[in-house]
Amino acid sequence: MNSGSKRLTRKLLAHAFLILFIMMIMTPFLTVIASSFSRGNFAPSKLIPTEISLNHWKYVLGIPYDEVVNVTTGETRTLKADVVPIRWFWNSIKISIIASGGILLLSGTCAYAFARMKFAFKNQTMTGLLILQMFPMVLALVAFYTILEFIGQFAPRMGLNTHAGLTLIYLGGVSIYIWMIKGYFETISTSIEESARIDGASPFQAFILILLPMSAPIFAVVFILSFISYMSEYPVASVVLQTGDQWTLAVGANSFLYEQQKLWGRFSALAVLSGIPITVLFIICQRFLVSGLTAGGVKE
Amino acid sequence: MAEHNGKVVINKLEKTYLDGKGKPAFTAVKGIDLIIEDGEFMVLVGPSGCGKSTTLRMVAGLEDISEGTISIGDTVVNKLEPKDRGIAMVFQNYALYPHLSVFTNMAFSLQLSKVPKAEIKKRVDIAAEILGLSDMLERKPKALSGGQRQRVAVGRAIVRNPKVFLFDEPLSNLDAKMRVQMRTEISNLHERLGTTILYVTHDQVEAMTMGDRICVMNAGEIMQVADPLTLYKHPENMFVASFIGSPPMNLIHGKLKLDNDQAYFIENEGDTHPLGTIKLKGPSAQKAKEIGSRPVVLGIRPEHLYERSQHENEAEFTAPVSLAEPMGAETLLHMDMANHRLIGRIQNDRLFKRREEVTLYLHLDKCSFFDPTTEQVL
Ligand SMILES: Nc1ncnc2c1ncn2[C@@H]1O[C@H](COP(=O)(O)OP(=O)(O)O)[C@@H](O)[C@H]1O
Ligand SMILES: [Mg+2]
Repeated sequence: MNSGSKRLTRKLLAHAFLILFIMMIMTPFLTVIASSFSRGNFAPSKLIPTEISLNHWKYVLGIPYDEVVNVTTGETRTLKADVVPIRWFWNSIKISIIASGGILLLSGTCAYAFARMKFAFKNQTMTGLLILQMFPMVLALVAFYTILEFIGQFAPRMGLNTHAGLTLIYLGGVSIYIWMIKGYFETISTSIEESARIDGASPFQAFILILLPMSAPIFAVVFILSFISYMSEYPVASVVLQTGDQWTLAVGANSFLYEQQKLWGRFSALAVLSGIPITVLFIICQRFLVSGLTAGGVKE
Repeated sequence: MAEHNGKVVINKLEKTYLDGKGKPAFTAVKGIDLIIEDGEFMVLVGPSGCGKSTTLRMVAGLEDISEGTISIGDTVVNKLEPKDRGIAMVFQNYALYPHLSVFTNMAFSLQLSKVPKAEIKKRVDIAAEILGLSDMLERKPKALSGGQRQRVAVGRAIVRNPKVFLFDEPLSNLDAKMRVQMRTEISNLHERLGTTILYVTHDQVEAMTMGDRICVMNAGEIMQVADPLTLYKHPENMFVASFIGSPPMNLIHGKLKLDNDQAYFIENEGDTHPLGTIKLKGPSAQKAKEIGSRPVVLGIRPEHLYERSQHENEAEFTAPVSLAEPMGAETLLHMDMANHRLIGRIQNDRLFKRREEVTLYLHLDKCSFFDPTTEQVL
């Protein structure tokens, strides 16, 4: 019972716990990957499928493949989706990027106004935003539908069943991000902008050249969060987008889950696909997510 | 650099802050007049919250002016943008751009006004040379020490080649040693550039050591403007008397009495009143006769109390020591008097004990008299 072996036991226990924990997190993830590569559209029972099949991926990516229809005769038919699911993937990426970009633009400028400018009813507006944002978007579904229908009469490209219309509604989710960015702006000393003003910067230049670069981390966070939320948003998209060619990934994936038949294989392939842009985004944004970007500017 | 006209004229300047609803909430600066000559080092000093920063920020153009005018070099600047006023400002918290290098921090204003690259480099290099920052131009502010950061902030001001430098408590975030060093550096800089400086501080030592002239403010008003020695020797009111000097001037409440061609100062009654009645002699008696019999406050600096008699016109008194602070070359003796505490700065080579009775001599020629109600000097 020396202290060395005691420490070893403790270390082993800690590692065992961590490994268990990681397995708990990884298992669902691996299951989905496995399911996308297995034959047949069943919920998978093994982590490593007995038979590897690329059929689900071919279906999702729109590559024609032969499927056995009759097991006894060995009869096959060539299968290709009417609306290739990869299209939903591109739809989702397009909408998420545009909506997130719009969110950045709107929330960044609004947050600047709330953090730095004086105007009437500022506090009331801020609180109003916060309260409004507490209601889930779904509750206003009927309203969104009616609004888009109305807009559609004048501008069909922004009405129901259009990506522009959906993006418009998504931009309404801006208030929480305004609060986030405002909070960050308020940690930045106003004397830095005053310095810039004395140095001859217009308010716009001070915002663009000084405040924005210092705020890169919060903008990266906001972009990632909104991107993820729009990539996986279902209720609004499912109501607004009505035809298969307009669907987003979430709506499309859901269409594989019929009451009587759940096509888990195809669903999983789509799920894996949706993880890719999020991962890529994280890798790109990582370099903005550095701490200490505002360090050294002021001493409190 | 002889062309700059950095004369600043502040005329009936007033600042009233508005509350959230646009109603007047607080008057921070109450109609002050001040003239700062071209090339002068003017220090604004006063307790925290007296309106120094507000005044400075109005000169800078960062704060709207409620009433009155400010002119810089014969131009009224009330409506001018900060960049067009010919000023540069150094903030208490440095306010550097943390994402930009030292070079870009200093070059920022020149880049904005589209100065040619070569010229920018030249001017930044000169400023960096003056401030000893030449080796650090590529660093980010966070890789610098506090003193170096403040130097960058000063450098940023220098490259703009302003008519007036504005400093808002630039040294208060530095440690004591760095503060003394930067104090000298800023004084040297003023010597070298000859540019007008308006320097805000709450530290009277900084004010005394750096300023050509000092403007003492209190509660939004100017109490006195004078050179350091005048301020010290001839304070115009009790506020300046107690604000300037450490420890401050002793202020003893009492009254003057003229009797048979003799003048007396009688200390107000209290539990103990060691001074009691003192007979005034020489210039102080002369002064008392001019003032006449009336309540007054007698002001005397701690260093004008002595343990040994050494002047002709002195008042002798005995009091118990309530606290002795040996400082090495001198000892600060605290003595509880009627309604206040009297402090003496005694040159000595012995230790004093608590409650020890000491006999001290008060140099009457150095006394000032103040009106107890208006607090002005008589
Ligand atoms: N934006 C503001 N709104 C209301 N009152 C203010 C504002 N800024 C400063 N004050 C008040 O004005 C007074 C003077 O402030 P300031 O000039 O900063 O003092 P200091 O002499 O310490 O630099 C203080 O009492 C302060 O509370
Ligand atoms: Mg201040």
